Amino acid sequence: MALKELSSLEKALGLKKPNKYSTQGDKKVPVLQRSNGPALSGLVTIATYLVREANRAELLGESAEHRAIVQQWLEYRVTKVDGCQKEDIKTILKDLNTYLEDKVYLAGNQFTLADTLMYYGIHHIIVDLAVQEKEKYVNVTRWFDHVQHYPGIRNHLPPVVVLKNRVYTGSHH
Amino acid sequence: MTKDGVQGAAEETDQAQSKKGLKKQQKEAEKAAKKAEKQAKLAADQQTTDEDDFAKDRYGVSPMVQSSQRLDRVLVRVQELTLEKSDQLIWVRARIHTSRAKGKQCFLVLRQQQFNVQALVAVGERASKQMVKFAANINKESIVDVEAVVRKVEQKIESCSQQDVELHVERIFVISQAEPRLPLQLEDCVRPEGEGDEDGRATVNQDTRLDNRVIDLRTTTSQAIFRLQSGVCQLFRDTLMNKGFVEIQTPKIISAASEGGANVFTVSYFKTSAYLAQSPQLYKQMCICADFDKVFCVGPVFRAEDSNTHRHLTEFVGLDIELAFNYHYHEVIESITDTMVQIFKGLRDKFQTEIQTVGKQFPSEPFKFLEPTLRLEYQEGVAMLREAGVEMGDEEDLSTPNEKLLGRLVKEKYDTDFYVLDKYPLAVRPFYTMPDPTDNKYSNSYDMFMRGEEILSGAQRIHDAQLLTERAIHHNIDLEKIKAYIDSFRFGAPPHGGGGIGLERVCMLYLGLHNVRQTSMFPRDPKRLTP
Repeated sequence: MALKELSSLEKALGLKKPNKYSTQGDKKVPVLQRSNGPALSGLVTIATYLVREANRAELLGESAEHRAIVQQWLEYRVTKVDGCQKEDIKTILKDLNTYLEDKVYLAGNQFTLADTLMYYGIHHIIVDLAVQEKEKYVNVTRWFDHVQHYPGIRNHLPPVVVLKNRVYTGSHH
Repeated sequence: MTKDGVQGAAEETDQAQSKKGLKKQQKEAEKAAKKAEKQAKLAADQQTTDEDDFAKDRYGVSPMVQSSQRLDRVLVRVQELTLEKSDQLIWVRARIHTSRAKGKQCFLVLRQQQFNVQALVAVGERASKQMVKFAANINKESIVDVEAVVRKVEQKIESCSQQDVELHVERIFVISQAEPRLPLQLEDCVRPEGEGDEDGRATVNQDTRLDNRVIDLRTTTSQAIFRLQSGVCQLFRDTLMNKGFVEIQTPKIISAASEGGANVFTVSYFKTSAYLAQSPQLYKQMCICADFDKVFCVGPVFRAEDSNTHRHLTEFVGLDIELAFNYHYHEVIESITDTMVQIFKGLRDKFQTEIQTVGKQFPSEPFKFLEPTLRLEYQEGVAMLREAGVEMGDEEDLSTPNEKLLGRLVKEKYDTDFYVLDKYPLAVRPFYTMPDPTDNKYSNSYDMFMRGEEILSGAQRIHDAQLLTERAIHHNIDLEKIKAYIDSFRFGAPPHGGGGIGLERVCMLYLGLHNVRQTSMFPRDPKRLTP
C-alpha cells in the first residue's frame, strides 16, 4: 500500500524519474535505497524527502507554526490512522470532523503534504461510509472531496461520491 | 498477643454486647409502647371521627356494580368540562391519574381517555377532614364517581387538558379499586426519550410496556395512536366505497401459500395441513374473475418470517385492494395513490389533535405528499442510488438501507414522503406478476413508500391461465395446489391489478414512529405471543 502511495505522491509532485522502493519487516515499512547516500525508511521520512527533491518545500508548511502542524498530522497519520481498528474509526472521524470545522486544509488555508498523506491514509475508511455517515462527518467529507479533486492527487485511488446536498436533515430516523 | 490478652478482649466484647443488647431491648420496648399508644389513639380517633364525621355519606367504596339498580344520573365526559359548564353541579366517572394531599386539601387529577381535569377536595362545608384523607388515599388508576361543582380557575392549569376549570368535589365514591403497586407508571411511559435523563427519571423500555400493554394503552400517546389508526381504516373504507368498491371477506385458512412457500405458518387441519393466509391475494383475484370489478378487504395477514426488526410483525392487518382496469395498469396505481392521498388528507384535517399528542412524545416532521403522487421507475431509482455512490445490479432487489436512502434522496429532490416505485425487476416479484411487454427483465409491478419504507406492494396480475401456469412452473410451484386459482382464469378474466397495505406500517410511518409495535395494539412477532 505504502509503495503505491509513494509513487502516487511522486506523480503528484511532478517528479519525472520514479524511485524504486523495497519494504522492511512485518509492517512493510517502505525503504528508499539511494545511489548517492544512506537508505531512507518510513513513509513520512521518504515523503518529506520527495517534497524537497521536487523543490516544493512549501508543502511542508511556510511558517514555523505551519511546519509544526504539518508534522503533527503526518505523525497522526502513521500512528493513529494506519492499522487502526474498527472501533477507532469513529473516534478518528469525530476528531477530524471537529478539527476541520473551520478549516479548508489540515494546516489551515494552505494545501500541504499532510492533506495528501491523510487523504491516502483515510481513503479506505471513507470508501466504506454510508451516505448517512458521510453526512454525519460533513467536514471530513467536504475536505476529502476537496483533496480528491485537487490536481494530480487522486491517481491510483477510486473516486468517492460525495453528495452536495444534505438529505438527512430532518429528525426522522 | 498472649492467650490471656485474647480472652480479655473477648470478655470485653461480650460485656459490650450485653450492654448493647440491653439498650436495644429497652428501645424496642419503648417503640412497642409508642406503637400501641399510637394505635389506641388512632382507634379512638377513628371512633370519634366516625361519630362526628358529618360527611360520611359523601364518600366511600361503592358496592360492586352488579346492575342492581339503574340510577337516573348523567355522567358528564371530562372532555366536555369547559367554561360553559362553570358553576354547575355534575357527576363524572374517571380514573385517579395522580393525587397530591396538602394539609386540609387534596388535589386529584381525574383522567378519562386522553383528557384530564384537576379536582379539589378541601375541608369545608361539604367535605370533612376524613373525606379529604380518604380521597388522598385512593390508589392511582382506581375508577371513581365524583359529584362536583365546575369552577372557573384564575390561572390556566397547564398540566391538564381541561385548562380553564377545576372540579370542587362534593362526593367521591370508588367504583373500582386499583392495586396499590402499578407495574409501570403512566408518566414514565409518555416521557419523550432523553427528557428527564438529567433528573434521573425513568423511561420505560418497550418490552416492559408491551408486557403491561393494558396499562400502556391508557397513556395519551397510545390513545391518540389507536384513535388515528381507527381513522385510517375508516378513511380507507369511505374512500373506496365512494369509488364503487365492494368489501369482501376471505378465508384465512388456505390450502396453498400465495407468495412463496418459505414464510407461511402451517396449521394442522384435521388429517392434513393448511396454511395461514399471507395475503388475501388469490381470493381477491378470484372475486375479480367473478365480476366484482373492484374489491377491498381489511383483515389479518400472517407472515412466518423469523425477522426481528422494527417493522416486521408475524400478524398484522392488511388493507387489500384489487380492481379490474381497462387498458393500462397505471389506472390501478392512480386509484390506489388517490386513496392513499385521501387518507393522508383525512388524517391531516380530522386528526390534528392526535397527531400533535403523539408528536409531543415522538417528535417528527409533518408528513408531506404531492398531488398527483410522484411515480418513479425502478431504473430511475437505481440511477439515483448509483449517483449517491451505491453499487448495485440492475435486477437486484432494494435492500432496506438502500430503500431508506432512496427515500431520503427522493425527499431531497421532490420534497415528498410518499412516492411510487414502478417497474420492478420480474425476478424479485411473485409468480402471478405480469411481465413488462417491452422488456422481459422487468414487470408491471410497483411498491409504494412512506418516509422511505415500503408500505404497499402491488402489480398487474397475469389474467391468462396459460402464462400463469408457465410462471408458476418457473417458480417451482405445485400446480395441483393452486389448481382452483389458475382455473378461475380459464373462463374469461378481465385485466386487473391491486396491492396490499400494512395498516400498522402506514400508521407508524405517517406519525414518524420508529417501531411497528407502537402501532399494533397487541403485537405478534417471533418472540412475542402474549398478551
